[in-house]
Amino acid sequence: MARILIIDDDPDLLEMIKLLIERRRGHEAVLSADGESGVQKALEQPPDLAIVDVMMPGMTGYDVCRRLREAPETASIPILVLTARGQPVDREAALQAGADEHMAKPVTMTDLMEKIDGMLAEHSAAARPHTIAMASLKGGVGVTTLAANAAATLSRAGARAICLVDLCPSSGHLALHFGHRPRPDWSKLMREDVIDAQAVDALLLEVSAGLHLLASPIVPPVERALRRPTVKALLEILEERFDLVIVDTPSILNEATTTVLDLSSDTWLIVTADPAAVQTTFGTVRALGERAKGFPVILNEVTSTQRTSPDAIERVLKRPLAGTVPFDPDQAKALAQGKPLALHRPDAPLAKAMEELTNELI
Amino acid sequence: MRDRTRKAQLVADFFTQSYRISGSLNVSSRKLADRLEDRTSSFIQLENTYISNIEHPADIVASHATSILRKEKIIAVVVSREEDGLSRKYTYGSYLGAHVQRTYLIVPGFEIQGYLRTSGKRDPRSMLASGDRFLPILDAEMKFSVRPDIAFTGGVILVNRGHIEALWQEEESRNG
Repeated sequence: MARILIIDDDPDLLEMIKLLIERRRGHEAVLSADGESGVQKALEQPPDLAIVDVMMPGMTGYDVCRRLREAPETASIPILVLTARGQPVDREAALQAGADEHMAKPVTMTDLMEKIDGMLAEHSAAARPHTIAMASLKGGVGVTTLAANAAATLSRAGARAICLVDLCPSSGHLALHFGHRPRPDWSKLMREDVIDAQAVDALLLEVSAGLHLLASPIVPPVERALRRPTVKALLEILEERFDLVIVDTPSILNEATTTVLDLSSDTWLIVTADPAAVQTTFGTVRALGERAKGFPVILNEVTSTQRTSPDAIERVLKRPLAGTVPFDPDQAKALAQGKPLALHRPDAPLAKAMEELTNELI
Repeated sequence: MRDRTRKAQLVADFFTQSYRISGSLNVSSRKLADRLEDRTSSFIQLENTYISNIEHPADIVASHATSILRKEKIIAVVVSREEDGLSRKYTYGSYLGAHVQRTYLIVPGFEIQGYLRTSGKRDPRSMLASGDRFLPILDAEMKFSVRPDIAFTGGVILVNRGHIEALWQEEESRNG
């Protein structure tokens, strides 16, 4: 059941929509006859969706949209503008004011209900926790550095509970980025037939406020590997507990990697400006086929001199680079000290680039 | 709810040369077109009006509970649904609605195109010289002349015949 706020100065319309959404869908309707009281109600208890008229005395619907978007409590709620001002310029004005959708009155009940259902479903999907995989089939391109700093950037912003997962079976390096020993690690999970939330919880390290990490074993496991059911269960448990899961995937297309790529909502392919890395990324995209179609490619400049230009990389990969992380001479020191730049030096070039990338892609 | 935002209330956009006035009027006893054609009154009264400058037609610069518009100064009225904008004589099995013709109009500040219903081939001059004060242009689009990116569409646009500066009609016609 969703809580839907309807702001309209037409009492008949308020009653009609209330009846519609309560009887047909069992949602809770909160009614407001003017913009000012509507905004107050939204701030007191943010709704799952707001339906806002434009032509209202006092505060117009555009003002309502702007006020809702300015307040952190209501900044992300879906807003449907439902107005008799139904021209293209009105739609544009509504979207500019912060509305997600615009519908012109008169409207049929069926159309309105379809729109409400669609917006609630979309918002629910967007609000669901998700997993981002960071991947490259070539080692040494800085996947772990970018995973650590992406998580650190989002953690510093303070808005989400984040879990980093180091699935590379041969190092425990991700923990070292945060100055932690990789203990405990996920190797215990390989011995379990069924894993539960308690078992996973016991393996998590809190590496900074709101940021947890599941480390990989420092000694590579021999004759054992993470199997698909284990990885799937692990991600499901972590997605239940965290707002965002970032996985540093192994540089090999093993069962663990393909499972993560299948289940992730996004995958960042990391490439460096050298022919071998570009060639590997090209091969990766070919191997993954359709699955890799929407994967953003990030250029990570791991040295001060780049052997391949960004243009050349884009030509080879036949897709634009989603972003570039510049070479940062302080990164080596940050790793040695276990202090990710994004957490401890937010003004560093690498940290700034990560901030832009996470804003853009997450 | 099914058909109107409010029972017997119709919301439409009234355009003068410089302003867009969105307002509602009670159409329970008479339709919009019939009110506009009513020769016993030079004015039309709108409720809950929201006013925009035509150069920024989405920005509401003023609102008033009631507005009185001088009919002769109205350039056009944009109505989203055809049946809400037509006179009763056009809507109830009228012979006049049998034939429609592609029509282009110029009025002060705007270019309008759409379809005009006629009873057959009719001399455009006679349409401009006599008949109803407002010509109903169906499935119509009205563009602001100096900013053609600003366009308004409606199931019908009622165009004040007295403001029409030029009119073109295409030979091609479609059945109404």
